[in-house]
Amino acid sequence: MKTSERIGSLTRYIVALGAIFFALFPVFWMVGISFKPPDEWIAREIIWFPQNPTIDNYLPLFFTAEQLGLFVWTAVSQTAVKSIQNSLIAGLGGTAVALFIGTTAAYAMSRYKAGGNFMPYLFLTFRMLPPMAIIVPLVIWFTTLNMIDNIVGLILLYGLFPMPFVVWLMRSFFDEIPVEIDEAALIDGCSPLQTFVQVILPLVRAGLAVTGLFIFILNWSDLLVALTMTRKEAITATVQLGSYMAETGQLYGVMAALGIILLVPPVIMGLAIQRYLVRGFTFGAIKG
Amino acid sequence: MAGLRDWITIPDKFKNLLIMPVQLTMNIVAMPAFALAWYVGFTNWSPAAGDWWEANFIFFDNFINLAGDQYFIGAILRTLLIVGICVPIEFALGFLLAYVLSGDFIGKKAVITIILVPMMVVPAVGGYIFYLMFLEYGPVNALLSIVTGTDFRIAWFNQPNTALISIMLTDIWQWTPFMFLIFISSMLALPQDPINASYVLGASRGYTFRRVMLPMLRTPIMIAVILRSIEAFKIFDYIYIMTKGGPGYTTQTISMYLYEWGFKYIRFGYVTAASLLIFITMAIIGWYASKPLRGVK
Repeated sequence: MKTSERIGSLTRYIVALGAIFFALFPVFWMVGISFKPPDEWIAREIIWFPQNPTIDNYLPLFFTAEQLGLFVWTAVSQTAVKSIQNSLIAGLGGTAVALFIGTTAAYAMSRYKAGGNFMPYLFLTFRMLPPMAIIVPLVIWFTTLNMIDNIVGLILLYGLFPMPFVVWLMRSFFDEIPVEIDEAALIDGCSPLQTFVQVILPLVRAGLAVTGLFIFILNWSDLLVALTMTRKEAITATVQLGSYMAETGQLYGVMAALGIILLVPPVIMGLAIQRYLVRGFTFGAIKG
Repeated sequence: MAGLRDWITIPDKFKNLLIMPVQLTMNIVAMPAFALAWYVGFTNWSPAAGDWWEANFIFFDNFINLAGDQYFIGAILRTLLIVGICVPIEFALGFLLAYVLSGDFIGKKAVITIILVPMMVVPAVGGYIFYLMFLEYGPVNALLSIVTGTDFRIAWFNQPNTALISIMLTDIWQWTPFMFLIFISSMLALPQDPINASYVLGASRGYTFRRVMLPMLRTPIMIAVILRSIEAFKIFDYIYIMTKGGPGYTTQTISMYLYEWGFKYIRFGYVTAASLLIFITMAIIGWYASKPLRGVK
């Protein structure tokens, strides 16, 4: 091995180690706090690793103070069970809605050139808008419909907001399937509906799954929509995190525990679809 | 019944059937809201004063007031500042990292995967993580104490500049991996022949990089920078969790401004007018900015 190559690979390892440290240390810190007892949360002499690991921080998220007996640091007014449930229901429901309305439209655009060029570009532009600039009019409209703090309303929005991603991703998956397959199916006597449902959809199963996971991650990560559209009954876990913050401010460990619960599913799912993340985030523009 | 069957047998009708779900959802959920915005934005409506159709129509007063609203202008400028600082840093770090790590070494796949983790973290949680990191007795001050050898105790969230820096560092931590991901996958997908040919012909590494690799990376670079800029412009979650726009209004961005005036001061007419302005501006910018995304099929 030449010296320059050796220096090259040494540089690579140093850079890699540095990057790993910066990427993981913040997460490590929150994991640590979630397992620390209160006196170690923000000790004056910093405590890098939990000295007396405990799961007490996780308990108030699932059990009320009465169920637990009295801990000093369990004074959260509400467990996170309901909000985690809401995150799951709204996230999954929204993903289903987004997949349904997005995939059908994507197929129409890929095969029937529906909406010409304009409609897909319009959807893409929607996604470029800051959601906060849309949300106040939406809140006004949903108040009129009596859909504020309503899980169905949240599902509809979680279907609509990520829809442009579905359209563009699924369109890129449909475009990869030769049109000849559609034509063959039609010649063999399939109706257009049968061609779509029985011939083409099975071919993009993997794409659908990837898109679904991607959309679920987006919905699960949402704070803004849930924060403005829900009040009490339909709040999601991210909103709960914010309300713990406002209400206690000091229960670092309990909030860190909720943070871990929020963090784990998308990280696992994201890494599972790592190969498709580039395509996901770039609306199918870069295949990766 | 024959009429119904047509929807799934006649291609033209089937096409309309396919786009019906998305059109229906848009027409029920989004369009009425959009139409409402065009009325409410011209009124002085606040929900405390009754229903929106009872509010006074004040023509362009909201927009005139916005033009002189120092908090609104300040929020816009601050948002642009965050975009202008974060995106170039994320780009530079992500690109360098991708360039260095695109060579072969053992454990490459694992390293790439680990670097992607921050990007998958729920942004609100990312904000909370960095809130913990920047606490007065948190690890950032502790690490800085070790490095500088002094007792480093900054209350990061109490001063405008340090509060803004902590927010920007959160954004950089979370989204540098996004740049890295796009660049490393583009670099790994580059055709090797032209690069090898350039070396064989005696070109230096730097020259090969500038004249052979960089032109091939033009599209991914444009897409990454555009997408990240637009996303950074929306910045909300970190600020809501970390500083709530404070101290004072010094970390308030556009999204935070709209949230505060909408949901804290409940001035729906005024904030709808502001939303319309942002909406239209970003729609125009978004329409042109998304062009590079359309071509690469």
